[in-house]
Amino acid sequence: MIDRILLYIKDKRHVNIYITFLGVLIFAIIPLFTDVESSYFIYFLFLTFVHIVIAQGWNLVAGYAGQISLGQNAFFGLGAYTTALIWLHDITKTGYYFDPVVMILSGLVPVVLAIIIGIPLLSRLRGDYFAFGTLGVGQIIIVVFLKARHITGGADGLHIPSTVYESMMPYYYTGLLLAFFAIAVVYFITRSRIGLAMRAIKEDEMSAASHGVYILKYKVLAFAAGAFLTGIAGSLYAYYLFHINPDSVLNMNWLFYPILMCVLGGTGTIMGPVIGALFMTALFSFGDVYFAQMHPIISGVLIILVMKFMPNGIIGLKDKIFSRG
Amino acid sequence: MSFRLIVQVLVNGVLFGTTYGIAAVGLSLIFGTMRIIFLAQGAFIIFFAYISYWLLTLLGIDPYLSLLIVIPVSLLLGSAFYYGIFKEAAAIEDKNISLLLAVGLMYLVENIMLVVWSPDPRSVVTPYTTLVFRPWGIVVPFTRLTALFIAILAAVCVFIFLKRTLIGTAVRAASEDMVSTTLMGINPNWVNAVAFAIGIGLAGVAGVTLATIYPFDPSYGFVFAIKALIALALGGIGNVYGALLGGIMLGLIESLGSFYIGGGWADAISYGVFLLVLVFRPQGLFGGSIKKA
Repeated sequence: MIDRILLYIKDKRHVNIYITFLGVLIFAIIPLFTDVESSYFIYFLFLTFVHIVIAQGWNLVAGYAGQISLGQNAFFGLGAYTTALIWLHDITKTGYYFDPVVMILSGLVPVVLAIIIGIPLLSRLRGDYFAFGTLGVGQIIIVVFLKARHITGGADGLHIPSTVYESMMPYYYTGLLLAFFAIAVVYFITRSRIGLAMRAIKEDEMSAASHGVYILKYKVLAFAAGAFLTGIAGSLYAYYLFHINPDSVLNMNWLFYPILMCVLGGTGTIMGPVIGALFMTALFSFGDVYFAQMHPIISGVLIILVMKFMPNGIIGLKDKIFSRG
Repeated sequence: MSFRLIVQVLVNGVLFGTTYGIAAVGLSLIFGTMRIIFLAQGAFIIFFAYISYWLLTLLGIDPYLSLLIVIPVSLLLGSAFYYGIFKEAAAIEDKNISLLLAVGLMYLVENIMLVVWSPDPRSVVTPYTTLVFRPWGIVVPFTRLTALFIAILAAVCVFIFLKRTLIGTAVRAASEDMVSTTLMGINPNWVNAVAFAIGIGLAGVAGVTLATIYPFDPSYGFVFAIKALIALALGGIGNVYGALLGGIMLGLIESLGSFYIGGGWADAISYGVFLLVLVFRPQGLFGGSIKKA
């Protein structure tokens, strides 16, 4: 028995699991040593967790299934709006602040949208056609939310009661839990038959189809799972903002951030988006403090430099060094 | 009266649409050889609109005269961007890298404009900005009419270039089949650079004419990129001639949409049409056979 456990532990394939558990453990005890309510560091980590979740959402559909989605901001905004609308209209009759039912529903609404638009877009179109279709959907959602004033409050948006705010603690731990959940989802999906099918589709769609992979099913699945993660992240962010409007949650940044983080860390890897999210959030936070307006420029330059010189991201750098060394 | 109104709406549509059209011709050319949609096109259009604004306010150069400066600069800039940024990615089979490079470039240019020119809208004001013709009671602003002529002129120049010159033929051949073209001894980098130069050049033309018509701000670039993309999809992705027609059609759809349904929804309608075309007629409204992308 002990031999087996030792064998399992020594297996190099499980190194990601150890890193994840060690990371979660470290992050879980950090609040014990810091002043949670006023520390900028806690806020920074909370933001990082949100970014990890949306980055993993994009990673699943783009990194593993090879379909570049440019509509992630629509899912993020939809998740945030769902949370606010359920709360304001008292729909589920449960407690709304950090209510798991509300958060899961906020993930499921984007899933519905992903399935509705995913089936026609993914069955007819390949490659960049899907990217533009999702881009169009994102724009339609923005127009609809701006125009449906009696439901969404138009450009001003919705205000959920901010008096419930007591502590940063639940944000931190929910964020950590969600980040862990997102990593686990991507890990288990990609280690299963589904993940194998996704990678086959990414490599060569024709060949995968001719080997009996039902490509539409797996592509929609990846797209929907990504939408679920992004929607839940939107819900958590809505609890933090309390004021949800198109400018804050449907912003194009919610489309660019996950792409940036995945690309920088390494798309199609488990740890790449996590590293990317940590790095980019650090850069943004640092940038906001020291050169407020410049940080989007730096991120633009970063995308270009990374894609040009290391298209496999920071994770890819490791392989490069080892294969040369 | 109502007939005149309809004609007015249609005329507005055509006048709006040609600017989308030439932006789409640029996108189409780049797509032809590189197989990517150059999303940064819109950001460059606004960038050149700002250049024309600066030339007017700082040096007093008339916007139409500034075309003589903007076009050569944008052609050079286009080939420089190709060799500086896209050259390696163009050779890689995975087109997502080029696509993401374009996204990065768009993000970069847009935010540089935000820092340099601030998010406040700017407009180019000349003595003829408010000049209006009224043939048969239909309102035709001078700047829009000029924009139409410049757009048509630019498109005709590009078409002649593609048809009559050796380089143009090489670009067309590369859009048909890059591998065979390379086997015929044509340097793929060279063809791509030409396509890029013309693409950015047309962005320069579109930018200057846009500056004379609308007030603009940095975020408008992304909207314009999507409009050009819709025009491209309507005309058939990869179809250079269809792109111009697609732009005019988009202009008509928008102007009819805002006339019958109301301003803010016009955008949603054009995105809706875009989605429908992508799903049901990916070869475009004017294309015959399905071109594999």
